[in-house]
Amino acid sequence: MDSVQSIEFVVGEEKRLVDILNEDEVMPLLQGALQSGLTAAALLDADDLPLWSCGKSTVTFSPAEPGGCQVESCPLHLEGEPVGRLCFALAGDDRLLLKTTATVVAGAVRTIMTANLKRMLTTEIHTRVVNRSYEELLEANRRLSLSEKKYRDLAENLETLVKERTAALERTYAKLIQQEKMASIGHLAAGIAHEINNPLGFILSNLQTLRKYGGRLSEMLAFYRSEVEKGTTAGELRPAAVEKWQTLKLDFLLEDLPELLGQSISGADRVRKIVADLRGFSHIDDADDEKPVDVNAEIDRTLSVLAHEIPPSAMVIREFGTLPSIVARPALLCQAFLNIVRNALQARPEGLVLTIRSEFEEGVVRLVFADNGPGIAGDILNRIFDPFFTTRETGQGMGMGLTVAYDIVTGCGGRIEAESAPGFGASFILTLPAGR
Amino acid sequence: MIEFDELENRMVLKLVYYGPAMSGKTTNLLQLHDQLGQKGRGDLMVLDTRDDRTIFFDLLPFFFIAPSGLKIKLKVYTVPGQVKHDATRKAVLQRADGVAFIADSQCAESGNNVASFENLETNLALVGQDIGRIPLVVQFNKRDLRDIVAEEEIRRIWDGTGIPVTTASALGGEGVVETFSLLVRSAYEHLDRRYGLAENHGLSGAEFHDQIVHR
Repeated sequence: MDSVQSIEFVVGEEKRLVDILNEDEVMPLLQGALQSGLTAAALLDADDLPLWSCGKSTVTFSPAEPGGCQVESCPLHLEGEPVGRLCFALAGDDRLLLKTTATVVAGAVRTIMTANLKRMLTTEIHTRVVNRSYEELLEANRRLSLSEKKYRDLAENLETLVKERTAALERTYAKLIQQEKMASIGHLAAGIAHEINNPLGFILSNLQTLRKYGGRLSEMLAFYRSEVEKGTTAGELRPAAVEKWQTLKLDFLLEDLPELLGQSISGADRVRKIVADLRGFSHIDDADDEKPVDVNAEIDRTLSVLAHEIPPSAMVIREFGTLPSIVARPALLCQAFLNIVRNALQARPEGLVLTIRSEFEEGVVRLVFADNGPGIAGDILNRIFDPFFTTRETGQGMGMGLTVAYDIVTGCGGRIEAESAPGFGASFILTLPAGR
Repeated sequence: MIEFDELENRMVLKLVYYGPAMSGKTTNLLQLHDQLGQKGRGDLMVLDTRDDRTIFFDLLPFFFIAPSGLKIKLKVYTVPGQVKHDATRKAVLQRADGVAFIADSQCAESGNNVASFENLETNLALVGQDIGRIPLVVQFNKRDLRDIVAEEEIRRIWDGTGIPVTTASALGGEGVVETFSLLVRSAYEHLDRRYGLAENHGLSGAEFHDQIVHR
């Protein structure tokens, strides 16, 4: 830019006399000199060639002017440099007229030169500065437009990009939540399988014993029937019967029988109850819709299915208040409770005291799950609901349990908060809007 | 150099008075105009000013002919000192053969001096010149005022730089011609190295100087 402009114009570029003066300015002055009585007047350049002249054309203005003319010459300077002269000739001897006229005209021409030069310099520098500023503005504008375009493109792409990434993230998140639920259910299923297997095992064993007992009873009865058919008398029958009875150990059998049956029935009953709990917990019979839910009952259900996970050393204290029903999807609610209770169980494997309090006040159902675990440090208290945040060792859960609980509770218009003083356990406080 | 027309045997040189606003650049030129002899010196042209502040520039031209017939025109310019006229400063600075930096001696103006000197360095670079190579003279003006930077302090800062430093009270006319004289000599040396003024044009440094700087 600089090199281009320096060719166009440099402050200080030389001006010639003809750049500074023009005919319209000079000629009237020269003619004025003639009108005041002079014979000829001219403006000569540095090489003594006339630029403008008027009057008698034969006058040469040389010092030894032929034809009896007197000559007066006034030098012209441009920036200190001699650039020409004004010449005046008078045929006659009025020296004073010649001198005076010459002085007046030269003064006028010099004034015009100075004024014009000043104007030109001012205009040039002004134009240059304006042009330059304009070009700098154009350049700045061009650069700004470029960067603006860049940022706009970026912004546009960014929006799409963010949308894509967000969608991908949401998909992954949903998948993870699903996985977490599945893992949670798998965990539950494993425990419950064990729980069912136990009674089922002794029921089966009892049934097998009962089958043997049945065989022995049948044998005794078959003995009686054949003896009766033979017409054997009671007196004859007794010793053989007693012997048979003892061989078949029927005294013991009859004693054992009610116990076996009782055990089996109670075992089957336990299985029935577990299945019922599980059904209730999973709400497998319900349509997956929102409906009025008895929160206390759901907590009970959750604790029931978790029974096998609660070690004998743990104590769960229920302080249930009277609650109105809330509108929610019960299966989800149970899942949330399960995750919170399980969190407490993991926080303190031995000697856990978990107090679950429910109360209703000011239109909301308030649930507090307070444990006596190690508590939550202040600096992580606000992160425990974040996905994948876990303090447990790798492999002991992926840090989604409380996230799922959070999603469920906020999903039914409620809130979940954690309070903790490290060393004094943690409390999870759930508030759920009643009768929504 | 503004122009070197070998066909016309003509050299047009440029010296620039640079410096912060109100440091006395125009006053320096006014004093030169008053103090230097009329021979070969043109009229001082003061372009538009507003409230005595230079908007465009001032111009003091000189003209003489070297023994070889080389016509030499020297144009001495001031730049507008105010920060906002930077574009004009750049335009004036272009193709300068030497710079007189007029600093304001008042302690309160030290910051402006530094800023302006940095601006000179930047603008010289922008017009393709190197502050380390261009003939440069620094003048600490306004020595007649109170609360000015002590001369020892000035020496301490500038002596190591190799840049000649003068002091002046331009309003009273003191030190102005001395500064100009230093600058003209320095510019001659620079030009002579490049164009062989003495060898090719029979123009010695003394003559170059005296043609311009004479009472």
